[in-house]
Amino acid sequence: MKDDTTISAGQVGRSVKRHESHEKVTGTAEYVHNLSVPGMLHIKVFRSTLAHGRILSIDTSAAQAFPGVHAVLTGADIKALVPNPYFGPAFHDQPVLAIDKVRYVGEPVAVVLASDPYVAAEAVEMIFAEYEELPAVYDEIEAMDSEVIVHDELKPAGTFPDLKHLVGLRDTNVALDYQLRRGNVEAAFAEAAHVFEDEFRTQAVMHTPLEPMVSLAVPQGRDRLTLHTASQSPSFVRSEIARLLGWPENRVQVKVPFLGGGFGAKLYIKLEALVACVALIVRRPVKLSLTMEEQFYTITKHASTFRIKSAVDAGGRITARRCEVFWNGGAYADIGPRVTQKSGFTAPGPYNIENVEIDSYALYTNRPPAGAFRGFGIPQLVWAYESQMDVIADRLGMDPVEIRRRNLLVDGDLHATGTPMKDAPFLDVLNAVAERMDWDKPFDKGTGPLRRGRGIAIGFKASIAPTTSVATVTIAADGSCSLLMSTVDMGQGSDTAMSQIVAEVLGIAAESIRVVHPDTDATPYDMATLGSRSTFHMGHAVRLAAEDARRKLDEMTDNLALPEGSTPTWAEVFRKTFGMQAGTIVGTGTYIPSYISPDPVSGQSANVTPYWMVGATGVEIEVDTETGAVKVLRLVSAGDLGEPLNPRIVETQLSGAALMQIGGAMLERMDFDAGQVTNASFADYKIPGIRDIPARIENIIVPASQTDGPFGAKGVGETSTFGVAPAIARAVHDAVGVRVDHLPITAEQVFTKLREMESSHAK
Amino acid sequence: MRGFELIRPTRMQDALAALGGEDPTVRAMSGGTGLMLMMKSGVFQPSALVSLADVEDASTSIDRLDDGSLRIGAMCSLSALETSAEVRAAAPMMSDAMPRLSNRRVRNVARVGGNLAHGDPHMDLPPVLAALETRVEVTGPDGTREIPVAELYSGYYETVLEPSELITAALVPAQDGWISTYTKITTRAAEDWPALGIAAALRIRDGSIAQARVFVSAATERLSRAEATEALLTGAPVDRDGLFAQAADAAADSLETVEDAQGSATYKSALLRITMRRTLERLTTGATQ
Repeated sequence: MKDDTTISAGQVGRSVKRHESHEKVTGTAEYVHNLSVPGMLHIKVFRSTLAHGRILSIDTSAAQAFPGVHAVLTGADIKALVPNPYFGPAFHDQPVLAIDKVRYVGEPVAVVLASDPYVAAEAVEMIFAEYEELPAVYDEIEAMDSEVIVHDELKPAGTFPDLKHLVGLRDTNVALDYQLRRGNVEAAFAEAAHVFEDEFRTQAVMHTPLEPMVSLAVPQGRDRLTLHTASQSPSFVRSEIARLLGWPENRVQVKVPFLGGGFGAKLYIKLEALVACVALIVRRPVKLSLTMEEQFYTITKHASTFRIKSAVDAGGRITARRCEVFWNGGAYADIGPRVTQKSGFTAPGPYNIENVEIDSYALYTNRPPAGAFRGFGIPQLVWAYESQMDVIADRLGMDPVEIRRRNLLVDGDLHATGTPMKDAPFLDVLNAVAERMDWDKPFDKGTGPLRRGRGIAIGFKASIAPTTSVATVTIAADGSCSLLMSTVDMGQGSDTAMSQIVAEVLGIAAESIRVVHPDTDATPYDMATLGSRSTFHMGHAVRLAAEDARRKLDEMTDNLALPEGSTPTWAEVFRKTFGMQAGTIVGTGTYIPSYISPDPVSGQSANVTPYWMVGATGVEIEVDTETGAVKVLRLVSAGDLGEPLNPRIVETQLSGAALMQIGGAMLERMDFDAGQVTNASFADYKIPGIRDIPARIENIIVPASQTDGPFGAKGVGETSTFGVAPAIARAVHDAVGVRVDHLPITAEQVFTKLREMESSHAK
Repeated sequence: MRGFELIRPTRMQDALAALGGEDPTVRAMSGGTGLMLMMKSGVFQPSALVSLADVEDASTSIDRLDDGSLRIGAMCSLSALETSAEVRAAAPMMSDAMPRLSNRRVRNVARVGGNLAHGDPHMDLPPVLAALETRVEVTGPDGTREIPVAELYSGYYETVLEPSELITAALVPAQDGWISTYTKITTRAAEDWPALGIAAALRIRDGSIAQARVFVSAATERLSRAEATEALLTGAPVDRDGLFAQAADAAADSLETVEDAQGSATYKSALLRITMRRTLERLTTGATQ
């Protein structure tokens, strides 16, 4: 059997050009921002100006009376539609519009609807809210035992068994207290040759997708709703909206075209609850398009404090580690408790340590909510444990690469959770960077005011588990194939990579596959496009769906009982079966990896993750010893991503994630004054531009295979984020002898430390 | 952003009339790149803006006059300055400074007059033009007057212009015998507002500095003349040991720096000390003795 498009294998592992390139370059790709439907009203949001306060009154009369305004709605209107209007993936704590209290500056309090968005914006300025100001808490450490309580009562969602013990807890800002215990840490500290105790901090940053969040809700008939939304998780949006409304899921349709970047900002549920409720109240299509500025008040990356204490023997082996991690989750939990746990258990680093204690706390504060951000908490952890690794190496007079080699886990070792390591080639990845950088050769550190240094750091990440993906592959009567899935292509190239899997199984060209974008009326369930899970999870589901389609096609061919040796095209098989060009083959595939939930006290599990992702970074930098300015000259990213499905796309994932991380490591910082973000615009919040990019950028796909991955592959979207910040910090120390302990690594921070060092030497 | 009236006069006198009213929020707008940022953040809420885009007698041209000076129309875009052969020939410092002034999208839209009148101390053009001894031609209801750029600013976002006055041209004298340079320091991304801007122009004769014009911006509350630096430099031999370090110390010790998102006042003073020395050294390296 063959088709005109049938080609030999090799669809996987080929740098197929992205399906959407032409559409994107010509400006015809579909985005929600460009979508408009008849009768549509625009929403503009009136936001809290207080970090914490009780709402005394909201005067909307002037806004209501403003010509062109269709309606002004507050939390009371939402409650009339949805009696308990609180949403969220981990906690049902976030009101659609503020009810009784506001908990951060920028929280949505009321909305104005108008067919002209500028009229709505003008009317927003005419709303007046009166508050009783309450004391606020901003810092994650202070929130641990502050008298200021952000939420009177904890309201975890019922979906996670490990959050059940938190139901109804009062007078605490700790949304989750995750812990792990292994061995005897105290005994190891008592007999250690060296003990190191350090604290490292990270700042709040924003995802800055260049397409700001946008959602459009369209009521359909009497009892259905369609949401067009820039979301990374259409299936979750559907189930959460259905839950809020008390509807069956099949009455909510969620459609997602391309995204102009996501990075975790568009996960779970963001604007969708608001547009859904408002559309049903006014019975009109409504659209909310955030400005870039408003994104700063919607979701952020967790600021964090990591207290790390390590026992080290005379040979440089770590014998015990205690990790206390405090995550500044802001006013609403979003997915913060998952970050706290799912990343928290990797806090000791990729090292074989016999005695480990981890306490990881998700904290409520009066800042904008923090959630998933490319790396899902891992970059904050790697920043601390790799920075401390360099402190240890320095104190012991050891080479920083050598001390890591001595401690790294190897396959078969037990991770701190008790899970045996598998397909986690730490040494290979570390060595790949070291070799590329000629680590063992002398390095010219320069003379005069410009000094050079270099650094290496390595980190790892587990996959979120357990999660499910479902895919559908169809073959039309002319033999053409479509892939229906709810994975969202937000720039990472999933349409192309998943087509390659279908093409490989069916033996046709990847370029000929049509990918149907998420539409929950048609594309099956997928947990979400997050955490570098799609390649592995959806990759398997797509493979299974294609295999199912292939099997059905083979059966159809066999049923024709054609003469021996005949090779009909697929279209001929359909024609002979149905008497004309008719029929459809529908192949389906469902994938959920195995997983064992960790013990709530010890954190132990024999199978805590389906796979590990390993990434290392090497940098060479230059420091201006007079001004403290740091310039990254060379950036080397190495990743274990199993076998690459599409080497070219994989390489851009490695470079893109690393460059994004340079922003968080050196430039970006959300500044706050009494809870108010003071630099909520690109004029004052700087992300790396083309002139900030290192002159040399190198990416290494480390030869490896994920033995149970689809075609040996696994995810790569976050791998090169892990080590960027600590590698730069180590390089700064290498160059000029000062160590930074909080991000971002600014010129002023380095300058201040240099002058402190000089004056302490002078004494 | 709140709604506002957009007035689009076609004649200068109508523009001036529209600006002459009682309402202090009525402002002139040329490219709008600065005002729009302030309006989006809610810092500035005008009832009306007077657009100069359609004013037919507002000049967009750059002319080299017979005496070697430049006359730059106030409605000339920053991109036009960047690419102008006349500017390159008469005042290369200006051409060299342009590629790092904001970004190309802004330079295509922003106008010379608006850039100078905005009064934000983080602008790059005021120190550059001041060091070139530029004067602005200002037109008001009673005619025109000239003001040196060096004396244009009275405070943070404040100028000496009357509400009903518009900058109509920048007049850059011939720079015969002068060398000049501009240094822009950013502390976050490369494309950013400066933490510090230093423009320096020197006239060197027989190995000595005959005249010096040195201006500092961004680190200070408003465009500031580094008078102590100028005094130290004037008359000194270019190759005197430690001259530029002393001149830099004089600037850092005499000018008050202010904290902002780009850095603390302490750090900016340090940057000023370092950058002033480096700027003068770079400017005089290879200079005709």
